[in-house]
Amino acid sequence: MHGNIWVVQNPQGSAQSMALVIRFQLRPSVSITINELGESSDQPCSNSLFKGLQVLLADDDDLNRAVTRKLLEKLGCSVSAVTSGFECLTSIGPASSPFQIVILELQMPELDGFEVAMRIRKFRSRNWPLIVAMTASADDDTWERCSQIGINGVIRKPVLLQGIAIELRKVLMQANKV
Amino acid sequence: MDVVNQLQRQFIDYSASLHREGFLDDQFTQLQKLQDDNSPDFVVEVASLFFEDCEKLINNMARALEQQQGVDFRQVDASVHQLKGSSSSIGAMRVKDVCVAFRSFCEAQNREGCLRCLQQVTHEYSLLKNKLQTLFRLQQQILAAGGSIPVVE
Repeated sequence: MHGNIWVVQNPQGSAQSMALVIRFQLRPSVSITINELGESSDQPCSNSLFKGLQVLLADDDDLNRAVTRKLLEKLGCSVSAVTSGFECLTSIGPASSPFQIVILELQMPELDGFEVAMRIRKFRSRNWPLIVAMTASADDDTWERCSQIGINGVIRKPVLLQGIAIELRKVLMQANKV
Repeated sequence: MDVVNQLQRQFIDYSASLHREGFLDDQFTQLQKLQDDNSPDFVVEVASLFFEDCEKLINNMARALEQQQGVDFRQVDASVHQLKGSSSSIGAMRVKDVCVAFRSFCEAQNREGCLRCLQQVTHEYSLLKNKLQTLFRLQQQILAAGGSIPVVE
């Protein structure tokens, strides 16, 4: 942290006083309100961590997309939804994307979630946008593969409010530990 | 207020019976909790999507199983997999359970077994459709009488 530390010694050689200078760099802060009631709380949506979070949701199934969208909105997220992997890539674009998180169904026809994630990571940094995969089959192999591609989290289907909240919170907290 | 209370009582009882008999599971309750003033018809809309899904997928399965030249079990399985996903998302437990058995028969390439499951899944879907329509009608009656829909845990 580009700081300095020095000790003033007394004649006997032991420390008389110590001084510590730490230089902090001002960074834009991301407000994190940790729900003190923890996971047992019935109101994960009261967490300001999700308020106004820009999310891109990609799922080809109408029903699942409608449910996931509603869950995200309930948490306070601002959701844009697309129905295919191609649309997802188009929405993110090559330049800076407005989306902080992309939530991606892995099993989609034509261009699946794995492919989409790989292409996003190829052209963009490791953590922007954050990618969270959704799948009905979240076994160790799936998680391993996701991890290798650079996917930041995995949500198991069927999607529940707690499930999404917990995984998103984890992903966001990890991203903030820079 | 008496009418509203009566209707609300009916709604709660009916809801409880649907859960008890396994037609709906906790996922459905979660969806009901998501409904709010911003989207007062959320559950009805999701249910409609589900019924559309069911009809389309059941037709696909029937067509694939009818093929006299040789059934493409992978195609049947793909539809069953989708139906299993949808029914899980909405909390249609009995439909989902049939899908689980259905997938086993697809894997075993057992046409008879598949046809039996198709029949079962069609039956469960129409049962559920009727029951949900009854539930939604009760909801409408409560709202029309000026009451609010009770949250069933």
